[in-house]
Parts: sequence; structure tokens; C-alpha cells
Amino acid sequence: MSSSPVAGPAPTGPTSGSDTVTTGQPAPDRSRRPERRGPRIRPVPAGARRGPRPRAARYWPQYLAISPYYLIFSVFMLFPVIFTVYLAFQRWDGVGDMQFVGFQQFRFLWDDPVFWLSVRNTLVIWVLSTVPMLCLALVLAVLVNSTKRLTAFYRVALFIPSITSLVAIAIFFGAIFSNNFGLINAILRALHLSAVPWMSNEWTIKLVIAALMTWQWTGYNAIIYLAGLQAIPSELHEAARMDGAGPVRIFFSITIPLLRPIILFTVVISTVTGLQSFTEPQVLFGSEAATNPNSGGPGQAGLTTLLYFYHQAFDNNDFGYGAAIVWAFFLLILLIVVINWRLVQRKERRP
Amino acid sequence: MDLSRRRFLQAAALSAAAAGATAACGGGSGSSGSKDSKNLTLWYWSGGLSDKVVADAKKHFSDISLKTSVVGGDFKTKLLTGLRAAQSAPDITGIKGEDIASFLPNANRFIDLNSVGADKLAPQYLSWKLKQATTQDGKLIGFPIDIGPCATYYREDLFAQAGLPTDPAKVSAELSTWDAYFKAGVELHKAIPKTFLINNIGSVFSMIVGQGTQRFIDEDNKFIGDQDHIRTAWTTAVKPYTLGIDAKINDNTWNAAISGGTLGTEIGAAWHALDISNAAPGTKGKWRVASLPGGPSNLGGSFLAIPATSGNPEEAFEIISWILSPENQARGFTDAALFPTAPAAYELPALTGGDAFFGGQKTIEIFGPAAERIPAAYEAPADAAVSAPYYSELTSIEAKGKDPDEAWKDAVSQAMQIAQRQGVK
Amino acid sequence: MNSQNRERLRGLSVHLILMTGVVISVFPFYWIVVMATNTSQDIYRYPPKLWFGDNLLTNIQHLFDKMDFFGSLVNTVIVAVCTTVLVLFFDSLAAFAFAKYDFPAKKFLFGVLLSMYILPTQLAIIPQYEIMVQLGWLGTLQALIVPAAANAFGIFWMRQYTTTSVPDELLDAARIEGAGFIRLYWHVVLPCVRPALAFLGIYTFIAAWNDYILPLVMLVNPDRLTLQVALAQLYAGHSTDYSMVMSGVLLSVIPLVLVFTFFARGFIADATKGALR
Repeated sequence: MSSSPVAGPAPTGPTSGSDTVTTGQPAPDRSRRPERRGPRIRPVPAGARRGPRPRAARYWPQYLAISPYYLIFSVFMLFPVIFTVYLAFQRWDGVGDMQFVGFQQFRFLWDDPVFWLSVRNTLVIWVLSTVPMLCLALVLAVLVNSTKRLTAFYRVALFIPSITSLVAIAIFFGAIFSNNFGLINAILRALHLSAVPWMSNEWTIKLVIAALMTWQWTGYNAIIYLAGLQAIPSELHEAARMDGAGPVRIFFSITIPLLRPIILFTVVISTVTGLQSFTEPQVLFGSEAATNPNSGGPGQAGLTTLLYFYHQAFDNNDFGYGAAIVWAFFLLILLIVVINWRLVQRKERRP
Repeated sequence: MDLSRRRFLQAAALSAAAAGATAACGGGSGSSGSKDSKNLTLWYWSGGLSDKVVADAKKHFSDISLKTSVVGGDFKTKLLTGLRAAQSAPDITGIKGEDIASFLPNANRFIDLNSVGADKLAPQYLSWKLKQATTQDGKLIGFPIDIGPCATYYREDLFAQAGLPTDPAKVSAELSTWDAYFKAGVELHKAIPKTFLINNIGSVFSMIVGQGTQRFIDEDNKFIGDQDHIRTAWTTAVKPYTLGIDAKINDNTWNAAISGGTLGTEIGAAWHALDISNAAPGTKGKWRVASLPGGPSNLGGSFLAIPATSGNPEEAFEIISWILSPENQARGFTDAALFPTAPAAYELPALTGGDAFFGGQKTIEIFGPAAERIPAAYEAPADAAVSAPYYSELTSIEAKGKDPDEAWKDAVSQAMQIAQRQGVK
Repeated sequence: MNSQNRERLRGLSVHLILMTGVVISVFPFYWIVVMATNTSQDIYRYPPKLWFGDNLLTNIQHLFDKMDFFGSLVNTVIVAVCTTVLVLFFDSLAAFAFAKYDFPAKKFLFGVLLSMYILPTQLAIIPQYEIMVQLGWLGTLQALIVPAAANAFGIFWMRQYTTTSVPDELLDAARIEGAGFIRLYWHVVLPCVRPALAFLGIYTFIAAWNDYILPLVMLVNPDRLTLQVALAQLYAGHSTDYSMVMSGVLLSVIPLVLVFTFFARGFIADATKGALR
């Protein structure tokens, strides 16, 4: 009685993001498999690798084992996601009756300057945080990789921000960047520089949010790059050094190209998480005025799209409009991820 | 919504599977007991009721267990969620003045207080305030806790330093128009450079809107936020920004500003006194109260309501009417700066006495006449949502130096769009 | 000599830069303690106090007056522990089926699982809210636990590990003795995949502990909040008593950082492995 390892991918599994997706697709050759021959009663329990496959019913323990996920997924994810599409075509305050309005919510969305402002804010904050975050992470990773001492300590210390509660950190950043008494302004004052109204200027608000995200995720990305660096055979570096290449040259012509799949991974992850910033501005500017909750701070400079969505859905109870916002935004994220992907892939194809 | 049944069936299968697991884990939540007629829950926000009066209510109604919760965050959002969460819904809840209008279309989620005896008590309370919580078909969904007659709070010591009048009567008389008020602000700022007149221009805007008899939407459900009364309020509100006497505080540093002397005056409702004394206990005795420039205005002033799911509406209203009796309202004024809605309370010593935080000033002399002359304005359910862009655009002027005329245009066009989304003509 | 010195200098500067990174990483924790142990008036003052004060207990006293800290802590622990236990059980069970069995529609199902990775929770949150209303779960902790009780990431991660780390011979041997699916899972698979479970467990626990948007939407009763929501509410509003809020931040961050540093080394190694796959 042999066991039946997975018939699909190699046991080690996919090695990069792009492979992951291929694994996910149903194999086209399945219909040619012997399972087509139909059920047959066999004396031994399920799971033989060779020989015909029995009916699906024989596998009830396996189906039962995977069912919790699919049950939870369909009730709390798949159905809601589809229902959100339906909602985007309704006018609904969450209490009264729904009213079908066709594409009206999307027309509103198109004409809504605040929605576009929120998209702009989100993109600016994303760029302001992701670019320095990933560059710094790469530098830190190379530095840790170049030394043999204290590496375990560095790894833990750099990783800690990523497990810290975002709410706690947002409160902390709100305190140190405070206009009137913040630590940062105190330092500026000690250096005889003029204080910066961090929390009330359009750009500095975005900077503070981006700084928060950079602080939280740089170490995490550094650790991931570090693992990638350690997987690069040292002979490659040796050989390059023999050929007279300096550290900078080695970094750009060997390290970076070899790290490309990992860089792609971190770019995609930071895109998806960075564009979904919500907690930072929500906590920082949550109830800045009783008349105007969740408006994203002065000049709505911290109004990210998800915060705008939350505001429309749960403050104004405009669920139809909220659904339209969140769907439009999801498509935008997809678009950006695909563009990122293409960019990195194209570079890869270049000789 | 007939989708709910299908949804329910789908989820019921899951809950059967999951509930067992959760229960085993101890994650099941016990019932909060809000259906129980002897256990009542009361929700309010910090400062929404006098904590002392609430504590006494618990003792007074000894046969009932009254559980009170101070709900944080955005109260309206929390209440909407609470109303839909059968297990969590309170038996008595506060509703903020600026939110009451938006609850009127869903009046069936609340008990009509007239059906449990409010109609008999109504004559003792301010009729315009009761009207705010009354639906067009005459249901009363909220009983008034307080009103928000507005005034100017000012730092007597800083005014003296700048050579401005210091006596409340004199300040009221000399700073009776917005322009005179701003002029004083310029002098104040010149004399004490770190001191500004106002915390942000949104507060001026809301005061001036409150001084009018019309808001953003009229009785015919028509958008009027682009008309002269709002435009004038806007132009006046922008003046202190142009004059450089606006502290532009739109974040959590108000606390530090008020205790550090950054703000020479605060314009706000009677209940705002509590905010000031909580934030800056060190400035006790330095503040005074004068009449608001440009005439009386009302800001906020909240209600107590009974959600329809309440286990014991009669008893709940007993508690409400006890907490809001004229005597207890007078205590609420001393304890939490809640200005009474029952005129009988205005004669009581608690109101006619002096307030130590304001150097012993009898603040009723300012608030009393203001309360009598508050203009009655129609507030539509969508009013709060429609007015939001004006406030955001005012902060845009402060945060990025946006041109006020451009900001006005953007505010109006956004407000019109929101009005359209909210079904306003 | 000279080149050796230069080498040493370079090593030193590397450590100097890295130490700067470490200081930036951990500075907030130090400063949170500073703010939590001083009074608000000290925080507002210039120049600010740079060292710990002795006001911590008073601040905590104020904190406990303002919020039901232990209630929130208990709620957070319930949510985090229940979610973790359920995720570990459901995900490893599903992973076992996916890793070691071949059954009709398996690839299709696994493909669905992977492609659903990308759906952000926010896309589903309005209907989720309505579902919770219908179930009568709005405002309860189940509303947070049940939707998070199994997830695609965990199944994917456990499948990878099960495939490589559970020897087929061991499974076969147990089968010959007549073990069924559940017994195989319990007696053979679980002992083998413990390291992967440890990672998934910590990961899930931290994610559940720090979750904000779902509790923000689903919870409402002040005595049924999680720490994150309760803290954010404490901070909201312009009359913020900073030292009091910071003592809350401190108390809510401590348990997690302790848990984490205890398991840190293995966890970080696994976290990167997850990323590299």
C-alpha cells in the first residue's frame, strides 16, 4: 500500500511568486488520467497511487477535512464579495429598503473630487513609504550579511516593529510628531530650527504616515532580503571579486539580479498592504472634530481611500456608495500589482 | 430585504459547526441581558451626562440594576451598530444634538416617548428643543438632556496684558460683532505673539451658521448651502485666518494649546466649559465668559432615547425623567456644564451661583439670556453629512493655504453631490 | 597593517550603521515608557524629560478609571487564542488532505484557495456586517473569531511543510495497522508538523491580537472591546491625557513583545522561509 503524494508540483513546492500561481491552476491533462475508468471496489483503503481512482464519495474524510475553510470562505468572503458588487448598484442606508440605482453610484464616484483626492493621497503615501522602505531594507540586509557578529540580535531587533500593534504605534507617532509638544519639534527647537506643524500641513501629514509605515516594515523586508542573500552561493561573489569587481559593482550586477524574485515578492506585498493603509490615519485623525469624523485630518491630507470607504459606509451609512468605492479601489490595486509585475518581469527578460 | 433568509441558511450551517468549536474555546459571549426588564443598560459618552447624577440614579432605582457604559469613539456610528446588534442594544441611550436629525427617518427603531408619559412632562421643557426630536407625524424619539447656548470664553489675564477690556459685561458690549472680536484678536496677538484668538476657523463657521434661522437644507428638502447665509458665514469665518489670529489647531494638540496659553479665547457652547476645565485645570480662575459676537447661537445639546428593543420602556422612561428632572439638571450644570432644558432649573442656586473656574463669575448672566434668544432653525436628516465638506475645505485653507474662493467652490460642489447621494433635491 | 586597519574600520562602520537601525527600531518602546511614567504636563513641557518618571502607577490608575483594561485584555486573549487554536486545527487538517491525498477536484479546489489570497477583507466587510446582524453576532467576539477560523495562507504554508516533512513510509506503516484519516492526522502528521504549527500559531496570534478594522466595525459594547479598539478610542477626541494613554499603550504592547522575543529566532527563520517559497 503506497501512500499518495501530491501528483502536482514537486514536493518542495514552488520557489517564487509566479510559480505559485501556476500551481493554482487546474492541470489541463487531468481528463486523461485513469480516474475516468470509473469506480472499482478495492480491498484496501483509499489512496493508492497507481491504479484507478475510486469515486469522490470514498474521499469523504478528505473533503470533510478541507470543508471548514471552504465553508468559512464562502459564507464570510465569497458571498460578501459578490454581494458587495450587488450593493454597488443600490442605494441603501443599512436599515431601510434597497433601491436599485443602476450605475449611479459609479457616476457619483467618477465626479467625486474627494474620492480622487483619497486615491491621490493613498498613492503618495504608498510611494513615500515603499521606496525608502525597500531601499533601506536592502542596505540593512547587505550590511547584516557582511558581518558575522551579532546577526541574531540584529534580526530580532529589526523584526520587532513589524509585530507591534499599529494602533499603539500610530498613537506614539501622533505624540512625537505633535505640533505643540512633540519630541521631533523639541529636537528641532534644540537645534535652533523652527518647529514644523507636522500634523496640520498637507505634505507633512503624509510624511508622518509614510514614516510610520517605513518604521514598521523596513526590518521585516530586510530580514526577507537577508534570507535571499544567504541563499546566493558565495562562490559567485568570490569569482566576481577575482575579476576585480568592487563591492558596489557586485551589488548591482550580481546581488540585485539574483534577488529579483524576492524583490518582486516584497514589492507585491508592500503594494497590497501599503495601498490598504487605513488604521494609521483613522487612529491619528479619528475624531478630530465632532462634526466631521474620519475625514482624514486637516485638508483631508491623510484621507486614504479605505478611510473614505469606512467613512461613507459606517459614518454616513451610505452602503451602496461604500461598496462602489471599495470595488473601484480593489480594481485599482489589481492594476497596480499587474503593472509592477510587468515592470519587474520585463527587466528580467532583458539580457 | 429578502436575501437575508438565504444568507441566514448559508450561515446557519456554518454556525452549527463553528459554534461548537467556539463554545469549547470559551469564546461564546454571555447574553448581556438587555431583554431583561430588571436589568437596564444606559449608554452615553464621556461628559454626556453628569456622572454624579447617573451614580445617584443607580441608588434611587434600587429595584433595578442599571448598568451604565461610557461609549468612546464616534458615538453615532457605535449607536447605529448597537441598534442592530440585538444582544448589545442599550435600553436607554444618549443621542448627540448634531445626530438627532439623522435618526428621525428611522424613528421606528425608538420608542415614541409620548406613549410612555413624555407628553405630560413636555410643558416643563423648552419646546424648540423637543421639536428637534419630534418626527413629522408627532413621535418624540428623544428627551432633551441639555442645550448648547454659545458664548465666548476668554482669558482675563491675557486680555489685561494686551490692554483689552476684562470685565465680562464690557467684553460682551465691545466685542459684540465678529469684526470687533477679530480686531481684539489682532491686538491680543500683537501684544502676546504666542497667543491666538481662535483654535480653528471651522469653529467660527459653525457658530455663525448656528446664528441663522436656516442651515444647509430647507423644509422642502432643497439644498440651500450655496446661498447667501452660508456664503456670509464662510467669508466671516475666513477672516481670522487672513488676519493671522487663527491657531489652526485641527489635531489632538488642543489640550496642550489650551493649557499653554496658545488660545486667548474659545468660542463654544455651555458644555464646552467642561472641556476647558478638564484640559487645563491649571488655568482655573483665569477664564471668563462673555456673549458671543453676532448674537446667540446653539451648538449641540443632546437627548436621551429608548431603543425599540428595550426590555422595559416604562421603567426606562422613569429613569430618564428622573435624571432630567429640573433639580438633577441643575446638578448636571454644576458637575458637567450641561445647560438645563427645563427653564425651572434656571432659578435654582446651582445656576445662579458663581463658578470658581471662571473666577466666581455668575455664568448664567451670559448663558441665560443667550438661551432665551436662540434662533430656531430647521435641521434636515442629511444636514450633518451635507455640511461636512465645508469643514474639510476650511481645514484645507489652514493646512495647505488653499485659496478661500476656490475652497468655497469645492465645498459647495461636494456638498451638492453629497446632497444628491442623500436624496436631497 | 594598513589594510587590516581599514578592514576593521569597515567592520566597525557596518556595526555603527546597523546599531543606528536597531536604535530607531526600538526607540519607540523606550519613549513610550518615558511618556507612560511621566505626567502629561511633563510631556507638554520644553525641554522634554528624557528619562523615566515615577508617575506610572498614577497614570495606570487613571487608565483603569477610563477604560475596562482587564476586560479588554481578556477579550483580546479570547479572540487571539480561539482564532489560533481553530486556525491550527482546520488549516493543518486541510493541509494534510491536500498534501498526502489525491482526490477528485483537488487541484481545482487548491487553485481557488490560492487565487483567493488576493481578496482584501475590506471588499467583504459591509456584507459581513450584515451577516453578523442576521446571525445576532454583531457586537460579540464570535463575529471576529469565526470568519478568521481558517485561512488560505495557513493551509498553503502547512501543505508545503506536510508534503516535505511527513514521511510517506510512516503513513504507510500506520495504514497497515489500520489507521484511518483522523488517526493518521492525530498520531502521525501532527507530531511531524509541530515546528510549522508553532510558526503559524504565533503568526495567527499576533495578527488576531493586532487586528483593528474588523473589531472596529463589529464591536460596540464598551465591555466587549478588544485592546486595539479600546486604545484607539482612548486616544480619540481633543482632550487626550497623553501619559494616561501611553500607559495603556505600554500595557498592551508588553505581552506581545514578550511572547515574540521568547519565540523570536525560530519564528523569524520560518517567516522568511514562508516568503521565499
